[in-house]
Parts: sequence; C-alpha cells; structure tokens
Amino acid sequence: MSSVNTHPDTHPQAADLPWWQPGEDSTLQCVQVREETHDVKTFVFRAEPPRRFHYQPGQFITLELDINGESVNRCYTLSSSPTRPDRVSITVKRIPGGVVSGWLHDTLRPGMQLNVLGPSGEFSYVRHASTPYLFLSAGSGITPLMSMSRALTDLASGADIVFVHSARSPRDIIFRKELAGLASSHATFSQAIVCENRQGEPEWPGFTGRLDAARLLHMVPDLMARQVFCCGPAPYMASVRQMLQDCGFDMQHYHEESFNFAELAAAAPDAAVDEISASCEGGFNVHFAKMGDDLSVAPGQTVLAAALAKGMRLPASCTRGVCGTCKTKLLEGKVDMQHEGGIRQREVDQGFFLPCCSKPLSDLVVDR
Amino acid sequence: MQESAIRFQPVQKLRELVARRQPGHSLEAPFYNSQEVFDADLKYIFQRHWVYVAVAAEIPEPGDYVTVEIGKEPILILRDDDMQIKAFHNVCRHRGSRLCADEKGSVGNLVCPYHQWTYNLAGKLIFADHMPEGFDLSHHSLKPVHLKNLEGLLFVCLADEPPADIDVMLEQMGPYIAPHQIENTKVAAQIDIIEAGNWKLTMENNRECYHCTGNHPELTISLYAYSYGFAPKAELAAGLANYENIVKDSHERWEACGLPSAEIEKLSDVSGFRTMRMPLDRKGQSQTMDTGSACKKLLGDIKDADAGGLSFWTQPNSWHHFMADHIVTFTVLPLTPDTTLVRTKWLVHKDAVEGVDYDVANLTRVWNATNGQDRHLVEESQVGVNSTAYRPGPYSPYTEELVEKFTNWYIGRLGAGLEQG
Repeated sequence: MSSVNTHPDTHPQAADLPWWQPGEDSTLQCVQVREETHDVKTFVFRAEPPRRFHYQPGQFITLELDINGESVNRCYTLSSSPTRPDRVSITVKRIPGGVVSGWLHDTLRPGMQLNVLGPSGEFSYVRHASTPYLFLSAGSGITPLMSMSRALTDLASGADIVFVHSARSPRDIIFRKELAGLASSHATFSQAIVCENRQGEPEWPGFTGRLDAARLLHMVPDLMARQVFCCGPAPYMASVRQMLQDCGFDMQHYHEESFNFAELAAAAPDAAVDEISASCEGGFNVHFAKMGDDLSVAPGQTVLAAALAKGMRLPASCTRGVCGTCKTKLLEGKVDMQHEGGIRQREVDQGFFLPCCSKPLSDLVVDR
Repeated sequence: MQESAIRFQPVQKLRELVARRQPGHSLEAPFYNSQEVFDADLKYIFQRHWVYVAVAAEIPEPGDYVTVEIGKEPILILRDDDMQIKAFHNVCRHRGSRLCADEKGSVGNLVCPYHQWTYNLAGKLIFADHMPEGFDLSHHSLKPVHLKNLEGLLFVCLADEPPADIDVMLEQMGPYIAPHQIENTKVAAQIDIIEAGNWKLTMENNRECYHCTGNHPELTISLYAYSYGFAPKAELAAGLANYENIVKDSHERWEACGLPSAEIEKLSDVSGFRTMRMPLDRKGQSQTMDTGSACKKLLGDIKDADAGGLSFWTQPNSWHHFMADHIVTFTVLPLTPDTTLVRTKWLVHKDAVEGVDYDVANLTRVWNATNGQDRHLVEESQVGVNSTAYRPGPYSPYTEELVEKFTNWYIGRLGAGLEQG
C-alpha cells in the first residue's frame, strides 16, 4: 500500500468546493493504491483542482489514458460511494496481456494525474428505490454493487440487501473482509459467496461450484420480492437471467450492467479483444457442424475472434457487422449480436447470424 | 442482302438510313439486323430514354433488390430502409466487378463478392478493407441511376439529363394505375423468353392486332375484334356501333367507380405512351380462357370484377394489361441485333393464396400461349427481313397505325440522337 503525504487539502473546506459535473472533462490525481487481491487493485483519486464528487452509486467514469503514445479510453465503474464525496475509487483486475489494466497496475502511482470523463450510467438503485434488494456479481463486476452497498449502509438506510458474489477461488474474492464487516454491522445486510473451487484455501467454508437456480433460491428464499441488480461477465449475466426466468421472476425488476465492451472495442479494438478474451472465466463452446471443430469462446469475445485466434479461416471481412460476409446459420444456441446493417431482421428470423459481431449467450452449433 | 451489305460508316450511313425512311412503311433491313444500328439503338434509344424495368412489388421490403441489364449496363434497383426505391449502376467502385449477379435477392448492405467493398443502401461506401490510411470512402459511392416510380411501375434512365416529359406520363397515368395498387401485389409468375428477332420486331408486333385473329386463339377469346383494329366494311357497321356503345357505357360505369378509362395517346412524345381501359368480351372480367377472373382476390379497391382491361403502352419497351384481378406486365430488352429478352410478369393481390385464390396455370395460360405465338411471328419476321428479297412494306392504315407511331417515334429519336451526337 502506498499513499501521498497528508497535505492540508486532504481536509478541504467541503462547503466551499464546487461540485464535479457529469460529462465534463476533469483531472483526477491518484492519491492511493490498495491491493485487494493478488491481481486486483483499487486506485483512489481526488479531483484536481479540488472538487466534491457527486454521482449515483453504480455509475462509471471514463479514463482517457495515454499508453505508449496511444490514446485509449476505458470505462470503469466506481467502487467508491458518493457518501464520501472527497474521493473516488476504481477497482481494477489485472488481465493477463491486458494493455490498460496492466498499465494501471504497473504504472499508476500516487501523485500521477489522469484525465477522466464522467460520471455516467444508469445502473443504480437510485433509479429503482424500492427495497428489498438482491445484488448479484461475479469477478470485478462487484464494483458497482460495492458502491451501492457502501452508500446504502453509510446512509443507515436500513435497506434490506442480500449480496451474492461469485468468484473463481477464495483468493479471488474482492472486498471479502469489507463484505463480511458490512454483514456483521448491519442487520439488514447479508452476504454469500460462491467460489468455483477452493484453490489456495482448502478449508474454504462457503459455497463452491457455480451459482444455479436451486442454490440461489436456497440463499434467497424471498428472491421474487426483490429488485435484482446484476453485474459480471456476459455469460454469468446470461445464466442469471435464465435462472430468474426459470423461477418465474418478473424481469421488470431485473437490472444489469455490462462492462461496456462495445465502447471498449470501439476505443481500442485489439487491446480490448485481448483483455476480453483473456478475462475468460468459463465461456461457451461453439461446435462447427461441417468442419467438426469445437471452440471455446471467452466472455465478451465474438465467435469470429475466437475462431481466428484458434487459427480457423472463416469467411469474413469487416469484423464489425457491416459487410455480412461471415453470415452463417446458427443451428443451436443464442447470441448477443450487435451488427451494423450487415444482416436483415428476416435473415435473423430465419436463423442466420454474423459471427464477427456476435457473442455467445449459450453453447452454440453453427453451420460451418 | 443489299442494304445491309453496304459497309456504311456508322454515323453518316445511319443518318442516311434515317433520312430515307419511308413513312407508313416498315424499316429497311439494317434496322433489324446490323450491329451498327443495334449499337446506335442502345446508345440513342436505351441509354437516353426512360426504360421500363421492374415492378415495386418485386422488392417489397427494405434490402430487397432486382437487377437488370440494359445492353451492357448492369443496373441494380433496391428498396432502402425508408422504403424508398433507388437505382444504381451495379458496378463496384473498386475494380468494377458486378456487385449483385443474381436477378433478385435481399441484402443488409451491398457487398461486392470480389473484395467485400461494402455500400449501404444509399450507395455510400462504408467499408473497404486493406486500403491505406487517408483513403476516403466518401469518394467511392455507387453511381446512381435515375428512377421514376409510376404507382409501382419502375422506369430507369441512364442519361445524365433524362427526358423531362416523363412527368407528363406520371401525372396522367397515375390515376389510371393507382386503383390497381401494385404495391399490394406479388409476382405470381414470371417467364423470360428470348426471341430470335430484333427488339423492334417484337415491339412492332405488339403494336398491332392485325395478326391476332389468325394467330392468337386464346387471346382473342376475351378481346372484342373491334377493339384492336379492323378494316371498315358495310357489314361491320352495326357491330362497330354496338361496340362503341359498350365502350361508352363501360367507361361511364368505370369512371363512376374511380377507374379512369378514356384513351390518352401520346405515342409521339419523347416519353411516349398510350392508354385506354377497354371492355373485354363474354364475362368481361379477365384475359383468361373463360374470360372470368383468374384470382378470387381483386386488386386494390376494385369492387367489381367486371372492370375490363386497362392497357398501357410505353416507348420504347413495354406494355401492360391491368385487370380487376391481375396484372400482366411486359418488358422488352435488346440483347443482340437479332435476339431480344421478353420478360412477362403476372401480378396478383399479395394476400392471394396459390391453389386457393388462383391457379398459376390458369392465370398464365392465355399469355403463355400468346407469347409463344408472338415469338414465332417475330422469329419468322427476322428470317424474312434478313432475305435479299426484303423491302419495306406498307402498313395498314386501319390496323397498324400504332406500328407506324412506334417506328416514327423510333426514327425520330434515333435521328435526334445522331444529330446531338
């Protein structure tokens, strides 16, 4: 842990300070870096010149970084709470090979300044202020839900919150002690953690395996009465949606936040694809019916990107859903397709999709 | 072959041919069989006038397209996301590959199969891989082609400045065609035939029915003999008077139901056309073997199956028959000096169900038979005009005035083209 010195303005006269404005470019100064887990760090910032931070818990900011002479924009949800308006923080998982997360982990130090844009986003309990809540997160998707939990508990709102977090292993649990602390000090806050495996902590006492509908109902028997907020990798959120639908949950009370991969990909295609594919926790299988090949597609990765990464040569050109060269029949499964006019709705209705701009929402069988 | 044996220097000799054309007579042989005239026909007639190519009902949804070739000009006609119909040269701006080789299809964006250059439906290049930094997509849009949509009949013009009098045709013909609501039809059948004859022989044959009695047993079931020309004779006077009464009564009845019927004759205009709604014989409903409707669902707002047949002829390359229950529409496109594509489409109400509301064999029987007979007539004419014995012959003043109007129009437009260069 490192931090800048205790300068007089670490206790500014708050009433005299202007507010941080959404959508306005501003400069943040890093004042602290905390290690949360072996590959997750929290970066704490103050405004420069000093301002008070005002935002909705769950919103994100956009960092404008200059990495090796390349300008890169990247969105991160704030893990901090607006109830502590003098500082904001983001909590970042290092992705192997990831340009931005690697730069933040290796380079960003207290005293350094960053340009940011923000805050923005609509993923916040503020917009759905009826309790009780169920917060569901996986991996670094915990950050917006942590922000909401901190805010609601800071305000002594008395909000009824069940927080269910999924991690790969016990050593990957972000904010583990803080979650336990919130649960022990707030009667209406409870938490449960599901680890895929016990790696690094054989005595792990919590749930192991993957979240499923039965386990969710077991942990949250009054699930149907709650507003659900969910954040995590796309396959995780897809499985949560499926679980809730299977339970007959009213999806009007379901709210989710993606990692804004579309914006990432637009800002820095290669780096983003690297980070996304490297962030694979699970992912889906794609079977190529004619070629006989099988492929694992990482969360956030397109079918085409995964195929190319494996060295398969599929017909494709634009890689962004414009030209339609890769148009293929989807024999089984569901995808999230974000095309730009390269396919017609009636073709989609006939079962076609564009692998270049489609991320699996389930295992797939494609007609190639 | 005397005339065509003249090795004429194209323009000068063409001018001479045009200048010595004898009004009231068929054309000299080179007009029907020389490559030079054919090239001039493409250049001065088909690239400078409004050419009928398709119906809007063939491309009902955004992204639907049809292709057509006018001489060596491949054209693409499509419906964009705003439901507007547009035409482009079907030629990629990269290395010229034809963009869409199929006769019809459906696309999201237009993608050249060669190197995947991708255009949106406005013709704008939106993606071209492998091109260097600074390559400006906006400088490589598809080249547009002028298009006019006459209540669902699509005309294109390849000229930089198309003939402006197309607007007269659109304005005057609109009310005639609109009640049949082409946009609410579908193509129930399409048949392309290639006639081994010059395109003008095909058109001339269409512009008279002198030949009908002797050649078209199926078509003449529904046609009144008096409707297609006859030589006046004393013994026909009573029949003619009767027919004229039928026309008068029918026109009054149809006009009262919102179906314009009176003849308009503008065949000498640059964008020449003619129309008239004509009574049909017997049941009077349709050009079928029993003259009854071929389709149970009537078109548009037409309530009365007994609405005769609206005929519409255009210069240089189309004719159409609009009935209460179906439409038959014909496109003529020159392929070589002595081959011609004749494309026939039968349109019925888009909600009509094949086998329930209509039977394709019944729907198409009359014109399939008639087209086959006409093809034979055109091909025999081509054989004859190729003979050294052929000389232009005189047209009948009673039954071939429309042939004269077609050839006059053609000679006039070709002459004008040769003058303008």
